[in-house]
Amino acid sequence: MDVIFEWFRVLYDETGINLPFLYDAYDRNRMIDGFFTTIRLSLVCLFFSVLIGVVGAWLQGSTFKWTRRIVNGYIQLFRNTPPLVQLYFFYFAIGTMLPTVENDWGGQSPILGSFAWAAISLSFFAGAFNVEIFRSGIEAVPKSTVEAAEALGFSRLQIYRDVTLPLAFRVVLPALNNNLVNLVKTTTLAYAIAVPEMLYEANQIWSDNVNVTEMMIFLLLAYFVLVGILVGGMNRWERAMRIPGFG
Amino acid sequence: MSYKTDLPVMKPFKPREPEPLLGFRPWHFVVIALIAVFGPSLAFAQAGVPLLTPFAVLLDWVPLLLQGFIFNLAISFLAMALGTALGTLLGLGQISLSRVTRGVSWFLTQFFRNAPWLVLLFFAMFLLPFEINLLGLSIPFPDWFKAILGLSLPVMANVSEIVRGAVKSLPSGQWEAAESLAYSRRQTLWLIILPQCVKRMLPPWMNLYSILTMATVLASIVGVSEVMTLTGQALAAEGGRPELLAPFYGFVLLLFFAYCYPIARFTVRLERKFAVIN
Amino acid sequence: MSNTTMNTLASALIVSAMGLTAASADVLDTIKERGTLVVGVKADYKPYGFLDSSGNIIGIEPDLAKDVADKLGVEVEYVPVVSSNRMQFLEQGKIDLMIATMTDTEDRRKVVQIVDPNYYSSGTNILALKSLGLKEWEDLRGKPVCGIQGAFYNKSTSQNYGAEIVAFTGTAEAYSALKAGNCAAFVYDDSAIVAKTNDPEWSDYEMPLKTIDDAPWGLAVQLGEDEFAALMSDMITEWHTSGRILELETEWGVANTPFAEAMHAKFK
Repeated sequence: MDVIFEWFRVLYDETGINLPFLYDAYDRNRMIDGFFTTIRLSLVCLFFSVLIGVVGAWLQGSTFKWTRRIVNGYIQLFRNTPPLVQLYFFYFAIGTMLPTVENDWGGQSPILGSFAWAAISLSFFAGAFNVEIFRSGIEAVPKSTVEAAEALGFSRLQIYRDVTLPLAFRVVLPALNNNLVNLVKTTTLAYAIAVPEMLYEANQIWSDNVNVTEMMIFLLLAYFVLVGILVGGMNRWERAMRIPGFG
Repeated sequence: MSYKTDLPVMKPFKPREPEPLLGFRPWHFVVIALIAVFGPSLAFAQAGVPLLTPFAVLLDWVPLLLQGFIFNLAISFLAMALGTALGTLLGLGQISLSRVTRGVSWFLTQFFRNAPWLVLLFFAMFLLPFEINLLGLSIPFPDWFKAILGLSLPVMANVSEIVRGAVKSLPSGQWEAAESLAYSRRQTLWLIILPQCVKRMLPPWMNLYSILTMATVLASIVGVSEVMTLTGQALAAEGGRPELLAPFYGFVLLLFFAYCYPIARFTVRLERKFAVIN
Repeated sequence: MSNTTMNTLASALIVSAMGLTAASADVLDTIKERGTLVVGVKADYKPYGFLDSSGNIIGIEPDLAKDVADKLGVEVEYVPVVSSNRMQFLEQGKIDLMIATMTDTEDRRKVVQIVDPNYYSSGTNILALKSLGLKEWEDLRGKPVCGIQGAFYNKSTSQNYGAEIVAFTGTAEAYSALKAGNCAAFVYDDSAIVAKTNDPEWSDYEMPLKTIDDAPWGLAVQLGEDEFAALMSDMITEWHTSGRILELETEWGVANTPFAEAMHAKFK
């Protein structure tokens, strides 16, 4: 393994193509950590934004006017403001107002760190889009299907869980995929609050080594591959979940 | 095997737009804004910091922040214009008859769609030349111009997709009728297809503009002096007091909301007006 | 495209190109012809360069830049820069002169022309809560330490002392994070930290460690601009002789640094 890495050092000496994240162990570890942090952040946000979407769609069907208004207000606020400013607001403004806990270096830290705030902020941002998507999916289930389930003795919760949601899910999958891909791309914003994800680590490396060109090209390729894999996987899943006779 | 059935398996799926903030009058927004911006100051007032000070400080800086915001809007207009022009060409390339053009356009569209906006912005800032030499004279590229170029790349890719989707959504009967009337391909596109597509493209295009406006704050990360940079500098000049953070960032949120929410409502209205019954 | 459109575009291009300066002339001539000296300064580093509420950049370094402009008999124009783009702007010719709290290092001398003698100096130190009782740089091992993206001491602090650097884009964010407790300390130039400890807001914080890497700052011009560099060298000598640096430090509320005093004594 080290032989391969040493080859890149030779490459640098000979041609000037500087890829320190390959031949230098310290930078290499940083880059791998950054990659896995991006993946972790994406997965966490994916999960929570879908959860928020489902819960929000449920609440939007509520009979109480104010529940609907609050959910609607949340959606409008998060859809019409920049996610970067939301991130700053959560991390700096709200973060400083929360209680602090004793931490392991003897000082007081806020309860939630930068990764947590990035996850929260981005989940709420993506969730705002998901609520409408899930709501439309639920509305696309014909009343006759729901009535048939009622006639068969399903309870309301059972209808929602076993009849409506599965059908709605298959219908919303294309729009949801689009959202999820955007979410992965939006995780780069966490760079601004010092979450050590791929862009942040790349920035550290190019600040130290002044090899911006190589790092930029690497980043573009890395995200292209990451998002490409996600899109490809989602397309396969979409095809597997297709409803016959529809669309 | 795919079946065609006349049973109501599912109704057509169309992602709906959120309803307007029901029943909210303009004065409601003002109250909400005041609470959002000064509520945190109330929290600090418990700790003995006088309530009015953050308000006064913010008011002091508001003219400068508004100037920065207008610069954001300028960046968004220019990036949208450039991205739309390039994207239309790319979109037409995607429906071209030549396989090579189609392939290259498809690849460029996918490449710039898959890349995160921030990475493309860094790419433009660091890798574009700082000046180009034309006819022996050098034309400098100021960094706001590079930011506009960087932001226009994802816009170009998305417009390309919008154009392709709109063209594909037209019934094929249009193409066949044009062919039977001996229109050349260029004439068909410019005189028949594209004029009909403009209406279909408008709502997603306006949606893209809204996303772009919100993305202009990314330029602050690469050093362009717009509203977020100015907010950071104002906070630094005020000594980094924590009770100023919420009012300042809250004000920026408010600015963007005040600009993007009407655009969103207008887009919904356009969509209803141009709804095409297939 | 139609002929008239092509013609309009071509003429617009030529007209706009004519209004621009040629790249190869000596920068001093360009400055005098333009009537403005474009200087890159910090806008978020109180008191060396920061904003006032009307958006003007003020501070020690803008004042030094004004001195140079007065010497050349031109107006001064400030361009705000940050650590990660100040050298690039100078390289690109976007700014003529850079006075932006930049530490003088060998690597940097390869990219821009740093003028001797050095006009200022500072070392690396940290700002931390008094209650933490940090005494040695080794005490930072394993602790999160805030920093600024692009600073050259981030790597050495993390590699040599095992600190986990949490780098932010600007000082405002870094100070906010420190205040909130997201990190144990903030590693930065000791000159800025000294100014901060005098601030009543930060009375619970101190600068406890020994300043390391005391490194002189360099102001820079583009590589190859030897005439301008010679002029700047004379200016810096004059600043030290007349005690201008000490005067500006007092004016902007910084304790007189030992380097400034030593240089004043040397050149008097």
